[in-house]
Parts: sequence; structure tokens; C-alpha cells
Amino acid sequence: MILYTVLPLEDVLDGIDEDPTPTMMISVDGIRLEVEQLGGFEARVVRVLSTDPEHYLSPHCQPGTVINLAGF
Amino acid sequence: MFEQYEPENTDEATAPDDTTIENIRELGQVSTPQAPELEAQPFHCLSIIGQIEGHMVLPPRNKTTKYEHVIPQLVAIEQNPKVKGLLVVLNTVGGDIEAGLAIAEMLKTMETPTVSLVLGGGHSIGAPIAVAADYSLISETATMTIHPIRLSGLVIGVPQTYEYLDKMQDRVIRFIVQHSRVEQEVLRDMMFRTGELVRDVGTVLVGEEAVRVGLINEVGGLGTAITRLHQLTRPGGKGGIQ
Repeated sequence: MILYTVLPLEDVLDGIDEDPTPTMMISVDGIRLEVEQLGGFEARVVRVLSTDPEHYLSPHCQPGTVINLAGF
Repeated sequence: MFEQYEPENTDEATAPDDTTIENIRELGQVSTPQAPELEAQPFHCLSIIGQIEGHMVLPPRNKTTKYEHVIPQLVAIEQNPKVKGLLVVLNTVGGDIEAGLAIAEMLKTMETPTVSLVLGGGHSIGAPIAVAADYSLISETATMTIHPIRLSGLVIGVPQTYEYLDKMQDRVIRFIVQHSRVEQEVLRDMMFRTGELVRDVGTVLVGEEAVRVGLINEVGGLGTAITRLHQLTRPGGKGGIQ
């Protein structure tokens, strides 16, 4: 891996040792999403797993979006 | 026998719905301003911000552009006949070389007209992405840092490592030279210049300078970018703006 960046490597990798939050797979409106649970009924989208490119333009599937799991 | 049933409230049509009540409670007014009904936007906008994330998930403190999400978006844009053009807004500090080149190659090979606008900064791997568009713009105060790539992590101290590094460097240089007006010698000279950056080898180009060396087509902003997209979407416009 080559990082071609103006930032010092130690700034980019700061916090890399912290354990990642466990993720799980859910399906929202037929779109498979990998999400990390935030506690309660909320989850944050990590990524979309779909072969339909339109799904990647859907506003509620953007990585970082918090979605409510109540009802799933 | 049967009495006619008269509902108490016959005027259901004027009964306030939940949204109206919500609006009064939250905003103190009955109706909220609505954007006028427009046709679907002809141009899409893709922002390349922060670090371009590649094979490794970067720690959450980084703002990242995730290429595995951007690439299907480009596919969707390319396939959709309603999308007439794409504006790529760059404000990036660089990132993974493979992910950056992947985005650049996708942009380059799109039939949909593309215009890139460098705002703030388009450093390192941002440069190939900026030049990959059909027409590139830089704002007056934006900067682009042109510097050599370097290896991180475990480096095996053998001569082949240097050859590998050269090869990786060459593919970035080749891409930029092929897709902009900059001469290879000029680019190499800027990339390996000493005395320009305090702690590094390379050159910082500010707005106009990036245009003067031939890296970027024009100094401009949002208005210029949209005008150029309109020009590119005209029949035969993809051939280039003179």
C-alpha cells in the first residue's frame, strides 16, 4: 500500500490500533447494508453491498448515515 | 327505523394534518417554504474530500472518500440518461495511490461530460483526479502540492525497492502528462524540486500557477464550472472547449 498524501503518516494512522466496532448486515428496502450498531435501535451505515449502482446514489444509504432499526 | 348518521365533523378536508401541526409547533408557521418544482438536476456533483481511502480502513478521525462507494456512483451516473454531466469538486489531501488512480481512470473513461473544480486543495493523488475530467478548473486560492510518492511500512533495503518506487512514480506522472498540457520534464522538475517546501521535496502551485504550467485548464469557480458543463453537453461539445 502506498499512501500518496501531504499529511504525515502518523496523522493519517492516528488511532489505527483501536478496535473497530463490530458490524452486521441488514437489508433496507431491498438494499443490503453493512452497519455498525450505535446502541438502542440506531445503526450507522458502513457500506452498501449491492450490484445496482442506483443504490449507491440513494440518500439513506450513504456511509455515515444513521438509520433507525426499529421495524427491521 | 334507521336514523341518518351525521358525523360531528364533516369538514375533513380542512382538518389540519400532522405536518401542519408539527410545523406550527416546531417553526411557528403553517407552511414551510418549498423549493419550486424543478426537473431532475441535469448535473450531478461528486465531492472528493479528505483522504482517499483504499484497501485499509482509516481511523475514524480522518475524513475519507471511500472509493468502493464512489465507483458504483460513477457507474450509476454514466448509465443514467437523465444525468447530462458531472461536476467533481476536489478538496483532498491525497490518499491511497491505487484508489485514487482507480477514480481517475473511471472519470477519464466516462462518456458523460465531466468538469473538475479544485477548491482549497487538490494535493498528491488529487492531481491525477483533477486532470482526469474533460475540463479542469481551480479556484484562485486553491493549492496543489506536487511531490514524489514514498513507501511506508516495512521497506526491504534492496535495489529493486527503488526500481519499484520509480515504477509507481512513473504511472502517476504518465497519467498526469497524458491528460493535461503539462510537459513531463516540467512535472518531474516540480515534483523533485528542493527548497520550495519546508519539510519536503516538491512544489506548491497556487491557483493561476497550476494553469500556467498546464496542469489545469482555467482559473474559475462554480459559475464557470457549470458554464463549461453546459458547453460540454452540447452536441459535439465533448470534443473539447477551446
